[in-house]
Amino acid sequence: MDLDVRTKLFIAAIFSVLAIVYQDPVILGALLVILLPVLAFLKTPLGKFYDFRKLFYLYLILIIIQSLFVRGGAPLLKIGTIHLLTTDGLIYGLAVVMRFIILVGAGLILVACDTAKLLLAMSKMKIPYEIVFMIQLGIRFIPTLIGELSATFDAIQMRGADLRRVYKRKVFKVYLEIFTPLVFGILQKAEQLSILLELRGFRRYPERTSYKTIAMKKRDYIVIALTSAATMVFIFGAILYGKEQIPFNLR
Amino acid sequence: MPYISLNRVSYIYSGRSMPAVKDITLTFEKGEKIALTGTNGSGKSTIARLMLGLLKPQAGTVTLANRPIGDYSLVEIGERLGYVLQNPTQMLFTTTVYDEIAFGLRWKGVRGSELDKVCKNILKHFALWPLRNKMPLTLSEGQKQLVAICAVLALKPAYLILDEPTKSIDTFRKDILLNALQDIGHKGTGIIIISHDQEFTHRLCNREIKVFDGKVATDGSRC
Repeated sequence: MDLDVRTKLFIAAIFSVLAIVYQDPVILGALLVILLPVLAFLKTPLGKFYDFRKLFYLYLILIIIQSLFVRGGAPLLKIGTIHLLTTDGLIYGLAVVMRFIILVGAGLILVACDTAKLLLAMSKMKIPYEIVFMIQLGIRFIPTLIGELSATFDAIQMRGADLRRVYKRKVFKVYLEIFTPLVFGILQKAEQLSILLELRGFRRYPERTSYKTIAMKKRDYIVIALTSAATMVFIFGAILYGKEQIPFNLR
Repeated sequence: MPYISLNRVSYIYSGRSMPAVKDITLTFEKGEKIALTGTNGSGKSTIARLMLGLLKPQAGTVTLANRPIGDYSLVEIGERLGYVLQNPTQMLFTTTVYDEIAFGLRWKGVRGSELDKVCKNILKHFALWPLRNKMPLTLSEGQKQLVAICAVLALKPAYLILDEPTKSIDTFRKDILLNALQDIGHKGTGIIIISHDQEFTHRLCNREIKVFDGKVATDGSRC
């Protein structure tokens, strides 16, 4: 459904907040189950989830770290008397991964939005134009910076630095070596950009007009009302499920 | 046997409808000095990137020393082909000019006085020695260009591919660069210059390939 960007922002914010507030794997699982049809309803490019398959190892690391710090439950893996992996640890590790997936899914709602309309929505929400413009620049320059970084790494390898066949310590040293020039290059670009903006009369007038327009329609208000109601039901359900899961220690 | 060859190569950038390079066949013998010329956006830099294996062709094959380019790692390609990008800023990643030249040499195992000697020689030759402790990114565009070229020259590759090497260089340093390239050319290093600088390429190259609209328009020797 073609909804106003502000409505999509509202839905994304609700899912993000709930994913951060709740820690219980059952509640996060329920939230994930609800999120999927919502994403389909909003015509979010679900194929983008596939791009996150490369983070598989990160998920595993998250599960392992979580397992190490959560005690309790039956031990699944132990060395001597030390429990390396327990059932509780595994469940909470899965919860962390689910939270991550929900946050990515909420972000995908915004990925499908027209960037210009998203920024216009932020302006209408009284976010200062300078901040909106900074976000716009960030979005615009990320692919450029990635491209430049990739060219730099090509140049490093073409000058003989075989980063795949050396000790990790040496690779880290190379990264450390290029870090300063990299940051310097970014700052240099930012400075040049600010000069160009000044020269083109950035913020010469306090008000800006926009070629594109956005307007909330009846269906937007209905969706916001339904989302709010569903959120209340979800929180109530979570309270009923177990008092331990009441957000913000409201008891 | 050609050192580099492109056989019926085509390449189209993602999101574009028109191919940047269309069904190109080119061969480069060892030690040739070639000018790759053509209008802006005609596909010159794309051809260079295909030769270096930085782009994978959708059709056709690229070979280096009789082996498909895909069989080489970037490090192995770098040992044979030296490439200087059109935008030298992307090639400068160390904190001093001296380190920029020394980076590749150190990875090749050159150390101590030998390393110092090579760096000193090349920096002095291009009148860059006084700038040795400066951060490369703080230099002028022309100086950056020269530092990037020096960093590649120091590694003595079999072929040099220079994309717009004279773009921002002053006349004095352009002459130094020309002499240096003529010198290494006489010693057997192949050189491919992508440039609009007719005078420079005329003085250096004995073959000119003109590219137009992603195709080879003319390919002939120069006297």
